[in-house]
Formats: sequence, C-alpha cells, structure tokens
Amino acid sequence: MKTDKAGLSIRTKSNLTGWSFILIAVVMIATFYFYPMAQALILSFKTGTGSNLTFTGWDNYIRLLSDKTFLTALTNTFIYLIVQVPIMIILALFISVLLNDSKLKFRGFFRTAIFLPCVTSLVAYSVVFKYLFAADGLVNSLLMSLSIIGEPIQWITHPFWAKITIIIAITWRWTGYNMIFYLSALQNIDSSIYEAARIDGASSFKQFTKITIPMLKPIILFTSITSTIGTLQLFDEVMNITKGGPGNATLSISQYIYNLSFKYTADFGYAATVSYSIVVIIVLLSILQFKVAGDKK
Amino acid sequence: MKKVLALFLTCVVLLAGCSSGGAGKEPAASNGNSGNSDSGSKAEEITIWAWDPAFNIAALNIAKEAYSKKNPDAKINIVEFAQADIIQKLNTGLNSGTTKGLPNIVLIEDYRAQSFLQSYPDSFVNLSDKIKAEDFADYKIGPTSLDGKQYGVPFDSGVTGMYVRKDYIEQAGYSIDDLKNIDWKQYIEIGKVVKEKTGKHMITLDPNDLGLIRMIIQSAGSWYVSEDGKTPDLANNAALKEAFELYKEMMEANIVKLNADWSQFIANINNGDVVTVPTGNWITPSVKAEASQSGQWAILPVPKLPQTPNSVHATNLGGSSWYVMNIPGSETAADFLAETFGSDVDMYQKLLTDIGAIGTLKAAAGGEAYSQPDEFFGGEQIVNNFAAWTAEIPRVNYGIFTYAIEDIMVVEMQSYLNGKDIDQALKDAQAQAEAQVR
Repeated sequence: MKTDKAGLSIRTKSNLTGWSFILIAVVMIATFYFYPMAQALILSFKTGTGSNLTFTGWDNYIRLLSDKTFLTALTNTFIYLIVQVPIMIILALFISVLLNDSKLKFRGFFRTAIFLPCVTSLVAYSVVFKYLFAADGLVNSLLMSLSIIGEPIQWITHPFWAKITIIIAITWRWTGYNMIFYLSALQNIDSSIYEAARIDGASSFKQFTKITIPMLKPIILFTSITSTIGTLQLFDEVMNITKGGPGNATLSISQYIYNLSFKYTADFGYAATVSYSIVVIIVLLSILQFKVAGDKK
Repeated sequence: MKKVLALFLTCVVLLAGCSSGGAGKEPAASNGNSGNSDSGSKAEEITIWAWDPAFNIAALNIAKEAYSKKNPDAKINIVEFAQADIIQKLNTGLNSGTTKGLPNIVLIEDYRAQSFLQSYPDSFVNLSDKIKAEDFADYKIGPTSLDGKQYGVPFDSGVTGMYVRKDYIEQAGYSIDDLKNIDWKQYIEIGKVVKEKTGKHMITLDPNDLGLIRMIIQSAGSWYVSEDGKTPDLANNAALKEAFELYKEMMEANIVKLNADWSQFIANINNGDVVTVPTGNWITPSVKAEASQSGQWAILPVPKLPQTPNSVHATNLGGSSWYVMNIPGSETAADFLAETFGSDVDMYQKLLTDIGAIGTLKAAAGGEAYSQPDEFFGGEQIVNNFAAWTAEIPRVNYGIFTYAIEDIMVVEMQSYLNGKDIDQALKDAQAQAEAQVR
C-alpha cells in the first residue's frame, strides 16, 4: 500500500479529513433516521396482523380515506390546532410584552414561573391534570364553592368538556415555551424605535400592533409552525388524561397510531400509513404558513 | 460531487448490511437470558414477564418457590411490567424478527391471546404434551389453543360476581335475597329505589370501558364476533342489542357514577360511593383493602338478561394465561409451568389463601382452601361459589379483534346515548368493524 504522502494531494487529504469528521454523524443519521423512514414507507404498503404482512399496494391508503376513526382523530387534532395554537400564541405574545417591561418588579420570578411548566414531564403533568379535572377533583370543588357551577362538570367523561380539558392542559404546558422565544426577540428590538413612537404620540396598543408584532413576525411564524407540528403529534396528554375518550371524542392521530400498533391486534402496515399522513399534512401546513406569513424574497 | 456519491454508496452498503441482519426471522437466535445453548438442561435460567404485583407476580413467587423445592438448580427471574408495556415489547420484539430480550414465559390476557398466537406463528411453544387441556375450565381452552394445539397454561379465572353492600341494600328496604338471581331489568329497578332512599349510586362505570357489555353478552354465549372468531357479529346480535339498551337505561335512571380510570373505580368502591360492583373475582383484594367495611359486603351471582333465553348467572371478565416463547430455554419454561400452574393442586391452595387468586385447574377446586369461609364477606364460602360459577361460564370465541371492535362500540354507544337509533348504531358499528378487521 502506498503512503498518503506519495498518493494524495494536500487538498484531497484535507477534504478526506473533513469528510471523516462528519462521516460518523452521517452514517448515524442515515441509519437511525433515513433508514427507518424508508422502511416505514415500505411498511405502509403492507397489510396484515403482527408479522403476517403481505404487500397490498395502495390498499392502506384507500382504507385511510374511508376510515371514520381516522377522520375523527383528524378532526379532533385540527380542533386542537385551530383553537389552541392561536390562543397560546396570543397569550404568549401578551405575557412576553408584559414581562419585557423594564419597570416591572420581580421580572425574573414571573418569567421562571411561566416557563416552569415546560420543564415538567409530560406524563407527570397529564396525570396531575387528570386528578385536578376529575368529577370530584379540585377544579370542580373550587368552581362549586365559588357558586359558578351548580353541579360538577364531567371534565373527563363528557365529549365537549374533555376536549376543553385537553386544550387547557396543552396551553398551560406550552405557553411559557413560546413566551421565551418572544422575550428573546423583544430584547433585540431597539428601544429607540419605541421612544420615537412615543414622541410621535402612539398609544401602547398602537405600538404593540404596529411595531412589536411586525418586528416579531419571523418568530411568530417559527412558533406557529413548531406549535402546529407539536399539536399534530399530540400524544402524551390525550393518552394520559382521557385515553382518547369518551368515545374517541379526544382521540389524536398519534394516539390512533398507537392504538393500531399496540392496543388492537397489531397492524403495523396501516399504522405506518397513518403516520405518513401526518408527514404529508405537516409539510402542506408548513408550506401554507410560509406562504401566508413568510417574507417574500 | 463524486465524494458525495461515494459517501451515499457507503451508506447504502451499510444499510443493506443492517437490513439483512434485521429482516430475517431467526426463532432460534441466541437468547440474552441463557448463557448456554443446551435447551434440555434443567439448570437453565428463565425469565418471566407479568403484571400486577399483588396478584400475578405474587402467584409467580409462590410457583417459583414450589418449583425450586424440586429443582434447586433452576434460576427463575420474575420481571414486572404493566400489561400495556408487555404488549408493546412483545409486538415490537416479535415483529423485528429478533428474539433477543424476550422472556421465556409471558402472561397474556385471554382477550388478546389469539391475536398473538395467530399474528406470530411459531413464536409460542405447543404445550399439548405437557399439560392436559381438559384439566382446566372449559371456557379457558378457546383463547389458549389454536388449531387443536394447546399453547397456553390457563390461569386466572376472571369469573365474575356481583359485590353488594348489604347495609345500603337494607337501608333501602330490601334484603340481600332480593338481589339473588335477578335479571338486569330488576337490577335497575332496585337501583332506582336504592338511589332514592340512600342517595348512593348502584354501579360505577367508565364510559371508555365496555367491560359490563362484554360480561353481559358472554353470559348469553355471545361475543363481538361470531363462532369463527373473525366475522363481526354486531348488527344482528340480540344479546348485544339488549345489553346496549340496558346500559342506556342505567345511564338514564341516574344510578351510574361515572369514573375515568381504574384508580377512580377502586376509590368509588372503597369510599362507599356505590352499592354494587358486578365484576371479575380479581377485584376481591381491592375490595378487602378497605378493612373498615368488613362484614358489609356480600357476593351474589351476576344478573342475567331478561329477554335472551340462554343467558346465565355466570360470566367472565378479563382473566389471563401463561405462554412459553419459542426461544432457548423453552424446555425448562414448559417444565416449570407443567409442574406448577399445570398440575400442582397444593400450590393452588396456597395461591388462594395467600393472595386470593382463583385458578382454573379443575382438580384444585376440591382442595380445602376453596371451602374456607371469608369473614369479610359475611362468612360465605365465596371461592366455592366462584368455582361453581366458573363451571357455568358459556364458552365463546374471543377472536383476535376484541379491543379494535370495542373502540368502535364505545363510539357507537356514545351516539346511542345521545339519541341515535339502536339498530342504526349497531349497523354502523358492523360496517366499521368489517372495514377494520379485514
């Protein structure tokens, strides 16, 4: 074998060194991301229980279109998306603007308090919420002692209230997370802009709508895309608070995938098909959001 | 560009290597649990997976002790997982084609047994020459066998009874005998009176769990699927229709206290919020957990259907059995089961006295422990009663789709409760189930 010095130019050598640095990462990513993705795509064309899988072409995709449970899961997920994401984004914006006020005392404390839900475990907080919202739980007894309601609300076992419970839970968990993005973006807005606006006589509300929101636009876009993706993958809360019930009223797409794989007789082929439907939806929604809110080049 | 291509090719080659390793079935692959490969040796180490420390794990420990006396060299590892975790691990393990990390013996719920036996052929060991199927309760053989071969060692009976609070019943002006051998219509009528007089709910139900419906239809020898275990039998199922109607009647009579999960279910029992609990005998330890209520409970046979003629006062809910996996160590594992849960009558007495577990080995019912009176339940020989009801449970084929169909039924139940026509609801369920199970 020839030595390096004899065979390779310095340029090739440095190139090789560079490649060898990233080779491990590339191989790892290919093995643990791209290979499973490709396998799942192949799997989505197979049908059968457990390991008795046979290739059936588009069968699963055709089944998907007429699957009522999938439709319910999709509708529920979109209800969460349409109701919860805007509430959360607006709330996070509002809180971050309040907490950015340099005159506010204990800012650090408030910021930490609102961010704190994000560091709790998804399962742990879901279980706590389940008990808070139980028929004889803390929320009901509080509302009843304040005479707001006459008899306990069936938060978990009523189709409508179960959805509300899930929405309250994910809003509590994720608002602080989005707030942090807005806070850091707000720090980057030059205070002289606000100063100029004040001198021109702009009210606080005008400053908010005409300066803050436009300046934060890229961040709002970013958070709404990540929140959309997060909501489409919603699993832990639904699984732990309502188990998708009552009667699939809170079922999310991810939980349906779990059910197809593990709760029912394992049908991994169809579960993979449903998973790919989420991929398609996320791609489409992200394109849409970029088109609506993104900067035109 | 060439380098990118080279890199890509390298990855492809690597991936091809990975896939050929994972895709092939290798039932006799090396096993993480056993160091040596001579599977006939008695000295081998085996691993068992089960859920519920108070019940199944406790039973395993008793079995381990009994087996170790005769086979001191055997090393038995008992691992506790939640049932959902076991199902996940089994499915993923068996599907990946590698048997590494799987246990030698696993506990599977009867409702799910066929789905594993049929979905993963050759993954479980045929125990026909180790145990005799006819030694066990008749209705347990359906779920545990396939094509005439006995794969499971029947264990937990799942026979049901109606647990009743005597004091509440008496407060409402009834005697306990008024609730003996009644039908569900009478049950609801009594429930209304009890609710009015005591303010207590007759029953607690989880709207996501149709266990009550399963109990009712099995008592009439019916199931979500027909005899073959595959064809959904919902639209024209008279027992199912009656069960649905009774369920709605209970809801509308306002005698149901809703619960959202197992812990609330248990809390409702222990807090004294409900008057009756029609459920599997495995609830006994949980009922007895509230020692202050000793003497206030009785156990009666479950009600039957008023209109369906072949309905009986005995049915099943849950219940599970042991399975040996086809990996090295299966000989020892099969031997362990055959010598303990498969035949050891004395061990079954200990299971009963120590943990209250009622098995399904027929011979065990003759033992002394079965006729011990239970002071908590007013000195009744409750186990003898349960054993007698066990013999009456109609045998049905659960098939492999119980939980998939039940999720459809839960949705239709909600629509039915909200005013949908019963026949339409069952017809829609039938159509959906047919699309689901093909």
